[in-house]
Amino acid sequence: MIDSQQASEAVADIDAMVRRVQQSRIYDLASRLMVMWGVLVFAGYLVTYFLPRYAGIGWIAVYVIGIAGWGAFSAINRPKSGVRSFDPKFLLAFVMILAFGVFCCVLGQFGSRQLSTFWAIYFMTMYGIAGLWFGYAFSAIGLAVSALTLVGYFWLGSAFDLWMAFVNGGGLIVGGLWMRRS
Amino acid sequence: MAEIDDIIHQPLRLRIMAALNALPPATGLEFSRLKKLTGATDGNLGAHIETLAKAGYVAVDKAFVGKKPQTTVTATAAGRGAFARHVATLQEIIAASGGDK
Repeated sequence: MIDSQQASEAVADIDAMVRRVQQSRIYDLASRLMVMWGVLVFAGYLVTYFLPRYAGIGWIAVYVIGIAGWGAFSAINRPKSGVRSFDPKFLLAFVMILAFGVFCCVLGQFGSRQLSTFWAIYFMTMYGIAGLWFGYAFSAIGLAVSALTLVGYFWLGSAFDLWMAFVNGGGLIVGGLWMRRS
Repeated sequence: MAEIDDIIHQPLRLRIMAALNALPPATGLEFSRLKKLTGATDGNLGAHIETLAKAGYVAVDKAFVGKKPQTTVTATAAGRGAFARHVATLQEIIAASGGDK
């Protein structure tokens, strides 16, 4: 028989392991979605840089494909993981976040450069906030991409959207892969 | 008071069972993931998984994903039951002593 001190240590050990598994599952799920969004965002910025006339339609396509991919990913992944990563509430929250962003852009009358900077930092702020609940990796990715976005905004000339393809799109891909290993 | 389950109570086996029980039923963990989560070495983890498998607490599934061998460990219904009883016993011991010290 064990004493209460040993029993308390065992329960604390179990609790710690459960937290690690939960975080690992969140990271695993989020990392896959992050890589998917990274590829789409990378493509979006390349269209903005090389075909600026089609930038608007390009970004609408990025969001439509991204949301459809997110839903499909959740449907495929859910039976295996038991985790629901997409439902009407997620979609509504995402649409509200997008709508507020569009409102800010209209109100601020941003130019192309400001738009790219705003959307990147806006979404990365969400990552920073998510990190407060779901693990430091989200915050680290959010801060790193935001900082590099500002570097590009202030110090890069006409190659800014190309820079953003690698910083934002590439950052999400690298961040997702790093998160998967964390 | 119920007896402590000696198979589960060993520290690494307790961590293995805690990790597997944190997953939905019939969901397993890859050996490499379990190794990372528990902080164990390959040999140590393998030996303790074998002990748990012999007791019928975990099922070990070995398969090839592409050309890579992949070992997945899943808690069985018996393992989940034993783990739940073990945790209940631990909580009884803590409660009997007047709470968490």
